[in-house]
Formats: sequence, C-alpha cells, structure tokens
Amino acid sequence: MELPRVLFITGKGGTGKSTVAAALAVALSHRRSAVLADLSTHLGAAALLGGALCEDQTVRPSESLEVVALSQRAELNSFIKRLVPLAAISERMLRSRTFGYVTAALPGLEAFLLLERLRMMAGEAALHDRYVVIDAPATGTALELLAVANGVKGVAPVGTLRRLADDVQEFLTDPHRFAVLITVTPEDLSVRETLATAETLRRARRIEVAGAILNRSTNALFEEHELAQLGALDAHRRLAQKRIAERAAAIAARRELEQAGVVTFELPMLYRAAIGMREISALARALAAALLAQ
Amino acid sequence: MKSRALDFERYRLIACLGPGGVGKTTVSAALAVSGAWRGRAVDVMTVDPAPRLLDALGLDGNASEPRTVSLKALRPVPDGAIRRARLRALKLDPKETFDSIVRQHAPSAAARDAILSNRIYRNLSSALAGVGDYMAMEKLLELVSQADTDLVVLDTPPASEALDFLDAPRRLLDLLNSRAVALLGAPAGLLRQFRLVDLAARAVLSAFDRVTGLNLLADVQAFVSGFEGMYEGFAERAKRADAILRAGDTALVLVTTPETGRIAQAREFLQALEKAGLQVNAIVVNRAMPALPDTKAITAAKLSAALKRKLRRNLADQAALKERETRSLEALSSVMPSQAQLLLSPELDHEPRSVSDLGVIGANLRPAEE
Repeated sequence: MELPRVLFITGKGGTGKSTVAAALAVALSHRRSAVLADLSTHLGAAALLGGALCEDQTVRPSESLEVVALSQRAELNSFIKRLVPLAAISERMLRSRTFGYVTAALPGLEAFLLLERLRMMAGEAALHDRYVVIDAPATGTALELLAVANGVKGVAPVGTLRRLADDVQEFLTDPHRFAVLITVTPEDLSVRETLATAETLRRARRIEVAGAILNRSTNALFEEHELAQLGALDAHRRLAQKRIAERAAAIAARRELEQAGVVTFELPMLYRAAIGMREISALARALAAALLAQ
Repeated sequence: MKSRALDFERYRLIACLGPGGVGKTTVSAALAVSGAWRGRAVDVMTVDPAPRLLDALGLDGNASEPRTVSLKALRPVPDGAIRRARLRALKLDPKETFDSIVRQHAPSAAARDAILSNRIYRNLSSALAGVGDYMAMEKLLELVSQADTDLVVLDTPPASEALDFLDAPRRLLDLLNSRAVALLGAPAGLLRQFRLVDLAARAVLSAFDRVTGLNLLADVQAFVSGFEGMYEGFAERAKRADAILRAGDTALVLVTTPETGRIAQAREFLQALEKAGLQVNAIVVNRAMPALPDTKAITAAKLSAALKRKLRRNLADQAALKERETRSLEALSSVMPSQAQLLLSPELDHEPRSVSDLGVIGANLRPAEE
C-alpha cells in the first residue's frame, strides 16, 4: 500500500489511539524516518515512546524517530507572535482576557492554525522522505477539527486566511499527502461509530480513509463444544465463553467493516500487565506485517 | 468506613464529570435509576447519549424537556418507598437552550434578533464545547429549582480537562464582560484609559481583521453589545450554579475506566478539582473487571490435559489484564482525596438496553476493597 505522508489516527475514546499511533510511528521509523505528532492533551503516545514531554517540545527515542507535542494553543501563540513581533506585548496579550474573547468567539481559529501546521509538516516530510503519524483527538473532536478549513472558507470570503484555507483543504483531500486511520475495538458501538466516521469522511469531506485498525482482537482459544465439558467449573466456563464471544465479535467487526469498504488491519490483544516499549514493538511488528506488506 | 455506594438520601444533586468515552452517560443514568429505586423523585439530564441508552430511557432525539421514564420493570424495594419514586430524563440541546435563554432574557425584540442572527453567536452556539458546558449549567439551574424533584443527576459534556464544565460560566462571562464592549467599541479618543495590553489586543485584532479578511471586529462588538443588559442575569445565574456545585448536598462524581491512559487523565482531573477547591465525593471506575476464579478447580476437575492447559492459559491472560487494572487503580488511590470514595462498576456482558439493565449497573456499584 502506498502510504500518504501524514497518517491521522482517530477513533472512539478508549480504543487505543495513542498505543496504535506510537506503534505505527515505530513501524514506519524502521522503514524510513518518522515523526509522531501528539495532539492529545495528556500526551499518551509521546509518553509511551519518549517519556514526559511538554507542549511544543521534541524528543528523539531513536535515530529515525522524532516525537513532537502539538497543541492548538501553542499554534495560536506562535501565530500571534508572528503578528506582534514585540515579545513583551505579545506575551502579555496572550495572557489577557480580552484576547480570550476573540478566540472563544472564533473557535475554529486555533484548530485551523493547527491544520496549517500539519500541512507544513507534510511538506517537510516529502522533502526529507519521512512519514508523519498523528495521535489525534477522539472521533467527534477530530471530525470537527477536519471540518474547520471549510468553515474558515465560509467566514473569510477573501484575504490571507481564505488562501490558507484553500491550501489546507487541498492538503486534507489529497490522498498522497493525508489519510485517516480509525482505531476500533471489537464492540458494537465502536464498529458503528467507525462506519459512520468513515462514511462522513469519504462522502461529505472527500478525505481518504486508509482503513480501520481493529485493536484488541483476540483468538478464541476454546472451541464451542468444549464449553459443555466445563459444567461444574462455572466461573471458568464463563471466562471461556467470554473469550469465544470476543473472537466472534472480532470476526463480525471485521466483516462489517470490510463490507462497507473499510480495509481492516487486526492487532492482537496484548495480555500483559503493563504496556511498555516491548509491547509497542510487538504491535509495531504486527502493524508492519499487516499494513506495510500490502 | 462508608459501606454504601452513594448516599442517595443525602444529595440533591449528583454531577458526573469525566473525559469522553468512559460511559459517563450510562453511569449517570444508572445512578438516576438507583435513586428512583430508593424512592426519590429524580430528574436526569443526559448529554449526547448513545442511541441504545436513549431507547433504554424511552427518549427520542428531541427530548429537550424532562420526560417520564417507566419504572415498571424494576423490582419494588422492600420498604415500599417505591411509591414516591419518579424518574424523568431529558437530553441536553445546547443550541436550543441558548436560543431560549436569549429569547427569554433579551431586553427587546430587536436585541434578540440581533443576537440570534449574529455570525459570532451562530459559531459560538453550535460549535464551541464551552457553550455545551454552560448550557448544561443553565438547564441544571432550571431542574434544581423544581419543588417536586428530590434529586437531579447531571451528566456533563465530555471534557479534556476537569474544569471545562465547572469553569464554563466564568468563561462565558469573560466573553460577555462589558469591558470588551468598551474596548472594542470605544472611539480612539477614549482609548487613553485602557491598559497598554488592551490597546495591543485591539491593534492585533484589527491587524488580524485586515490580514485575514474576516471583518471580525464589527461582529464581535455587535455580539458583545447584544448581550448588554443581559449580562447581570448571566452573572447572577452563574454565581448560583457555582454555589450549587459547591453545596454540601451536591455530590461530584468523577467517572473513568481502568485503562492506564484514562487513569492518568483521572489523576489530572482530581488534581485540578482540588486546586479549584472542589470536593470530589466519589470516583466511579466504570467497566471494571470482575474477580477471577483460581486454578484449584481446574486441577481437581476431570478434564483432558489439553483443555486444562487452555483454561490455565485463559486464566493467566485474564490475570495479566487484571494486574494491569490493579496497578492503574493503585495509581489512582494514591492521589485520592480523603473524603472521596472509590467505587467500581463491573463490566456488563452487554450494553444496557433497558431501565432494569441500568438498575443492575446501579446495584452492582461497590466500594473498591481497601
């Protein structure tokens, strides 16, 4: 599969976006170099790879992997600093309540600046032949974020912002530069939300959906007929039954997603007491096999 | 040690806070059903419930006013308190609520229309997360003022930070603060009385306007002055809402799930709430794993060696996940405020589909072992 420069990882809360983003960045960094851009407030993906990271900082867990934390607020700050070159004034202004009114009134502004930053990162990535993986917010917020460029086009009919908005929109709808991967777990709600998200992105936004990553997909371990033998072992039978049901749910999820034309990559459930670098590496190998082999 | 999950008789308001995707709406609905089951007259306000939960509560998409939920499927409690029980549910519609506040409080028809058609207002009232928070607060005031309601259970919009919801009134008031009107609308001659930083903000805004082609300044000014005369009302209600949230008969409940990332988020929430002087009464860890059986029964059973191997393997797998959960919960306990209780809500084997499913979730809520 020909991967775009920027892969935007979103999904329902709790489906493992940060873990998948971290693993994908590691997988891609083995191939070429990769940048992991963490957009989440708690910097989960960054923590998995690089330890503690503050806003707008960069760490390098390996030669070919860079982790950067991005935030809408930081983008707005640097935008203001470009407009007001006098640092003392721009900094006081950012702290002042007055400016808060304006950003609150135009909620898209910060988000838009963030998208513009991603577009720049895609340009740099093409130049240095590397990939950018984005640990994005959960689906609802992510869809709002991706709609912002069009929103700006609506309010700014002319001017610099309008030109930027056109560029950002062109970037988001160019499958060579930008695509979305949706993390999903084998649960009804999660699958339905993924289908709705893929549909919205494709039909209404014309944004490429590279596929769904079916996370925490388990193996059945037991066969149905074995359950009958566990008559007296009530608690164990229930656990076995749950395992079989989880496998069935994964198969059903995959079928449903693929029937809707969403390519699905399965990642195994990791039965480990902690998720550390070893687990991320295991997931990176599984991703490389599933996603990059195509 | 407190033995009960939550003292439903003691509280008049239970507010559920927490990040998105943790089942906050389900927990809110379950607490509401439990309250009603204990004989109280309960109203629950949900925010963006999953379709199945809407079904369970018998709501459709437009239930922006309280609708009665049938409790027939619940077993009556032994003391007969069920007689007084009543449950009503509604779904928050932030845009609707904001519009109706403007209609209700605008000083004139012209002011009302000016606000409702303003570009900034239209952006603000549909897209901005803070408005959802604020409107939940407005609706809350409406609900708690009803004399025939014993208990209000409040679900809040998904938050990335703890104070998103609790801080919403202050943020909206900042936005409507008359200082902004003065600043943005003031003729150049009056500008001497403003601080340098305000002038810089104004200069940046106009530069921004020019560069971007937004013509924002005029709209911001029109928007802010549209609220002139309504500001005091907003401020007064915000103060009341804040007082209610800090009152002794209000329970703040933080909802999370046991995943490592969520627990880290919950810790941040706790710290922020504590800093703001707000007491969390309970933390509900939703979808907690049930206790696991041991291996003795496997050893003793008459089964093939292969099947026994599988059973042990499955148990070891689940034990690893349980261990992960235990470590997460320990990380949470270590930052728990002393007055707060840690409650576990065990995972159901299916999504809640009915009022009795919600009743089961409420009844299963149990304090974590010390």
